[in-house]
Formats: sequence, structure tokens, C-alpha cells
Amino acid sequence: MDFTFTEDQLLFQESVRDFLVNEVTTESIRALWETKTGRSDELWQQLVEMGLVGMTVPEAQGGLGMNAVDFVLLAQECGYVALPENLVETVLVVAPLLAALPESDVRNEWLQKMAAGEARIAVGHSRNPLVSDAHTADAWLLQHNDEVHLVKARKKNMRRNESVDPSRRLHSIEWAPKPATCLAKGPAGKALWMQALNYGALGVAAQSLGLAQRMIDLSVKYTSERQQFGKPIGSFQAVKHHMANVAVQLEYAKAPVYRAAWSLANNHRHAGVHVSHAKIAATEAALLAARNGIQVHGAMGYTWEVDMHIFAKRAWALDGAWGDRAFHKTRVAKFVLKDNALIGASNTFVA
Amino acid sequence: MKLTFSKEDEQFREEIAAWLKANLVGEFEQLKFRGGPGDEHMFPEERKQWEQKLAEGGWTCVGWPKEYGGRGASIEQQVIFFEEYARAGAPGRVGHIGEGLAGPTLIAFGTEAQKQKYLPGIVSGKELWCQGYSEPSAGSDLANVKTKARLDEKTGKWSINGQKVWTSLAHESDWCFVVARTDPDSVAHKGLGFFLVSMHQPGVTVRPIEQLTGTSEFNEVFFDDAVAEDIVGEPGDGWKVAMGLLGFERGVSTLGQQMLFQNELDEIVRIAKANGAAKDPVLRQRIAEAHTGLRLMRYNAMRMLSDTSGGALQKAALVYKLHWASWHRNLGALAMDVLGPEAEMLESAPYNLTRLQSMYLFTRSDTIYGGTNQIQRNIIAERGLGMPKEPKGR
Repeated sequence: MDFTFTEDQLLFQESVRDFLVNEVTTESIRALWETKTGRSDELWQQLVEMGLVGMTVPEAQGGLGMNAVDFVLLAQECGYVALPENLVETVLVVAPLLAALPESDVRNEWLQKMAAGEARIAVGHSRNPLVSDAHTADAWLLQHNDEVHLVKARKKNMRRNESVDPSRRLHSIEWAPKPATCLAKGPAGKALWMQALNYGALGVAAQSLGLAQRMIDLSVKYTSERQQFGKPIGSFQAVKHHMANVAVQLEYAKAPVYRAAWSLANNHRHAGVHVSHAKIAATEAALLAARNGIQVHGAMGYTWEVDMHIFAKRAWALDGAWGDRAFHKTRVAKFVLKDNALIGASNTFVA
Repeated sequence: MKLTFSKEDEQFREEIAAWLKANLVGEFEQLKFRGGPGDEHMFPEERKQWEQKLAEGGWTCVGWPKEYGGRGASIEQQVIFFEEYARAGAPGRVGHIGEGLAGPTLIAFGTEAQKQKYLPGIVSGKELWCQGYSEPSAGSDLANVKTKARLDEKTGKWSINGQKVWTSLAHESDWCFVVARTDPDSVAHKGLGFFLVSMHQPGVTVRPIEQLTGTSEFNEVFFDDAVAEDIVGEPGDGWKVAMGLLGFERGVSTLGQQMLFQNELDEIVRIAKANGAAKDPVLRQRIAEAHTGLRLMRYNAMRMLSDTSGGALQKAALVYKLHWASWHRNLGALAMDVLGPEAEMLESAPYNLTRLQSMYLFTRSDTIYGGTNQIQRNIIAERGLGMPKEPKGR
């Protein structure tokens, strides 16, 4: 039993953090809001060269063949900077979904292209009404009931929908399933979509940890500098307790997120429930960080100028993605309340 | 990261499970699921016997080093021990303050002679301990200790005068570790000593405090020229020793507590299924939340304990109390809501609470004892987040 990350995993996290904090600033995020695609091809190519895009692509297809445990800390860092690029879904949803398909030319070719930075794929899951980053993708992985389809991206088939988070680029897709685009169906397809949901939710949970941390950092800095009544407002209990509450929720959300990553990487039979624990805990931490962070910023927190809303809006937007709170709480409730539930003192860890 | 138990660990699990099955029978059968916080007044004598029974089987102090009479169990094995102990419904330990607090403090800070003198009594389950920290004027302001210690030049022993309060299980204990002021001119955390005081002497008076449950597990303890048997560390080191001990309080001992929580949650789930509450969408959601909160606690404890570098331990230890206390307070409320209108009905006259009522009421104290939620938030914000310190009165 060991809950720690390896030295390599921690070093990778550190170098990715350094890179992202330098490259993805709030100024660069605001600048991208004004561009047509909202995305930077240059940044994506850098992510490809660092091996991030192909991290979970099998080695045979030119990737690093790593898993969710290797990537979870990096997804956290993507959240910390509110990375606009669709990296987390690409690594945690698209690549594992394609990799889980039986070997075929289509599967291998697209995985190879992804890892090499020659193609991007966006994913549409029935739990998410819209497709993130469909506009920069070369192909779309789409769901039709239990079927998995890989469809060539066509501009005329997509329509942009604005998000509360100006960095998010969401699209509705018009398409009709055809036998030629179907890669999996029946129980196999259903299992793939469930896996995609779990990986997507893990990605949201991990990003939420980073978002919460960023909002704490911004708020602690602001309340340590801002003076009222002749003192930094952060010295007042009414202010610091808001931040302590966030710190507790954030610290407590980390272990379940890592646990969920491990369960997915090791095909644990209750991985779905572990993912639900993680998503509930991590998104609640991020939402509380947004609420309390804005509160302790006072009126400044309500402005467009102060950076808080960049992270708060990402947290709000991601909260409903890959199964909303109701979905995940219902899944946990079913697990706890079913007739032969694996509860009890000796099942708290294994189950 | 590897979140499974080894084969050896699973063998250890079978061993402890079998021992409990074979021994938690006969006179001890009635102790199942009894004792522990909120139920400490039940079966004190029988539970003292059980403590010695455990000792005979070698199941006290499982995490202590072998040289001090422990089992030298790994963290994994301690986790398993607490899981199986709770699963069997074995009773709340009357010896937990000695095993979890006094013993580890002596192992860390005591002299070899003190270890030889005090540890065997804890291991054998024959000597019980209580903790003398809080005072009428030292609650949240824990360092505002007024109890005085004076060295008697003739006997070479320290003499203690003052009062402690909220002392759990003092009325059942043989020994108390007492923080007292060795330097009368000192203030706050300076000039304190950490003393070991026998409860069986004329200078010690214990007066139980009747709680809002109508029962008593906390006490006032008065020291009138009580003689301290020993001092741990030097005069002036008391705060350092006491704070080291709070570290133990948040370490492995948390595992046992979580297992008690699991038993309580299981009981609530059982009732909810039986009375139909489990079909109510609002209550289903709250049960899911309670389950999730307990898993969080569990995973955090495991993460904390498996990080030997101490980095995660410090941060997690800082937030631990606030999280579990708030979670448990909510669990109490959930229990009452699952019972619905039945929740207010006492088990019997004159004022006998049901187990869950007792739990509900006890959880009102969880967010106060051992550092109130408000004090915890100050510590988290100032030490954990580095926020500016609040101006202090002295």
C-alpha cells in the first residue's frame, strides 16, 4: 500500500508546471479570447514535443504508453494555469478510448498522428451536450447509443456555442451515423463510453484541484496586501476562515483523485465509484475556492479586470462536464445502498 | 503508487480476525459495538478486563517497536488491525490514551528508566492514562496554563497545584500527564513542564462533569500538592513535548476513529433501508455525501501515512481535525433525519439515550474539543496558507 508518486512523476510535474506557468499567463489567456480559434498552434506543438499529447498513446504508435497515474499530476497543473488547449481530454479520454479499440489501421493511424502532433481528435459524449474543441480537430469521436464513431471533421457540420468561460470553445455537431464510421458497438461500445466518462470526470477532477489551488494563491496574495482598518484584511478571522475552508476541501480532495487515477489505470472493478468520489470532492473544492475567493477580493472580485474570474469560470464550466454532481452522487448512493453493498470496516479501502 | 495489500498483510488480517472471533465471546459478547466517544460510560470494568485480554493475545500497542513490548507492525498492518477490530465490533479501548498518546511521547522524549517504568503497564492494559492539558482559563488559549509545578528541594520531586478540566476518562485512570508551569514568572508556552502524576494520591481529586447527554466522560481534576512521579524532558520543555504528542494524536490513531465512523454509517444505512428512508431522494443524496466524506478521510489517512517524507503528513495533519469534526457533526444530523420523527424518543426513562441519539449529541462536542473549528481555521490559514497573523493580546 503506497499512496506516493515516484520521483520521476514528481519531476515531470515540476517541469510541466514551470513550462505552463511561463507560457500560459493570464495575459496570454485574455489575448486568446480575442482570436478566432481561441487556440495557439504553437503551444500545441510545444505540448507535442514535450511528449504530453502522446503520453497515453501506446508506444507502438509512437506515444509514451503511460497511464492515468502518470498524467493526473499534470492535469492538475493544466488546471492551475487554466490551460485553454484541450490537452486533458485528448490524453485522458481520446487516446485511452482509441487505444482500447481492437487493432486496426484506422485506430493505429489516428493514434500515430495524434502522438506526432499531425492530427487532433475531439470527443462527443452523450453526457456532454456539446463537443469541446471540435473546431481545431481533424476528426471527431462521437457517440450514437452504444456505438463509437470516428467521423472526419467538417466545418459545415458544426456550430459554435458560446461558453460562460471565454476560453472554452464548444460546438454542436450535425451528423448521421454510418456503418463505415463505426469502430465499436454493443456491450463493447457501451463499456468504451463508460470508460470515457470515467476518464473525462477524472480529468475534470484533477484540473479542479489545480484551479482551486490557483484561486487560493490569488486570494491569499490579495488579502495579504489589501489593507483596511490599518491592517491586511487577511489577518481578520472572518476573511482567513474563508480561505481555511477552501484549503481543507482542497487538501482532502487530492487523495481521492489519485485513488481514482490508480483505479482507472489498474481496471479496478469499482473505479467508477472512485471517480465519482473524486469528482464530487474536487469540483466542490474548486467551486468553494471560486465563491470564497471572489468574496475575499471584495468588489474587485466582481470585475473583469481581476484574474479571479478566469479560474472561477473554468471551475463552473467544468463542474457540469462528464457527469454533473447529480449523476455522480446518484452513482455513489446506488453503490452504498444496494443490497449486497461492499461497505463495512474491512471494505473501506479495497472496495 | 500501489493501492493493494501484500500477501503477508492479508495473512496478518486473517490472524487478527481469527483471534477476535475466538475471544470476543462469553462475558465480552455484551461489549460489542460499545464504548468509544459518547459511550465511554458503558461497561468500564468489563472493558478494562477486555484491555487485558487483548494484551494477553499481544494485540495492544501493535504499532509500537518490539523493544518496548509492541508488535512492531507496519503501517499497513496497523490499518488492517483497526479495520478488523472495528469489523468485529470490538469495544472502544479504555487504554487508547496510554497507547496512542502517553506511550509514544515517552518513547520519543522519555529516559530509558521512564520507558522501563511506564510502558509495560500500558502494554499489559493494566495501567490507564488521561491527559491534563485544558484548564478553566486555558481552552483555545491552550498555553495559558496556570497550574504550577514546584520542585521540593528535600525530596527532589515536583509538587503540582492547580486545576485541569475536560479530562476524558480521568475517573478510570491510574496516571495523568500534566502540563504545568515550572517557571512562575513565565507566560504562554515558555516555562512549562510535562509531568507524570499518579491519580491514586490524596492530592488529586476528580469531579465528573455531567454532559448534556446526562452522562459523564469528562472531568475536572484538582491538584493540591499532588506529587509528580516524573518529569518528561527538562523543566521548560513541556510545550515541545506536549506538541509532539498532538502529532501522534493525528497519526495512526486516526485509523481507529475512522473505523468507528464506518460502523456508525453502516448502522445508519441499515436503518435507512429498514424504515424506507433509503428510498427518499434527499436522504439518499446525503448518505452518498457521508460515504464520500468518509472515503476522503480514509484515503487521506492512507496517503498521510504512506508519505514517509513528511511533506504531505504536515499539510494533511493540519486540516485533519476540521474535516473529521465537521463530517461527524453532519453524520449525527443525518442519523436523526434518517430516523425521522422517531429521533426524539428516548430509549427509556429517566434519560437514557439511544446509541444514535447519544452519537448525535456527542458530535456537538466534536467541533469544540481538541481545538475548536475556529482555532483550527486560524492555524490552517496562518501556518498552512501563510496568511497574516491575527494581532494577539500578549
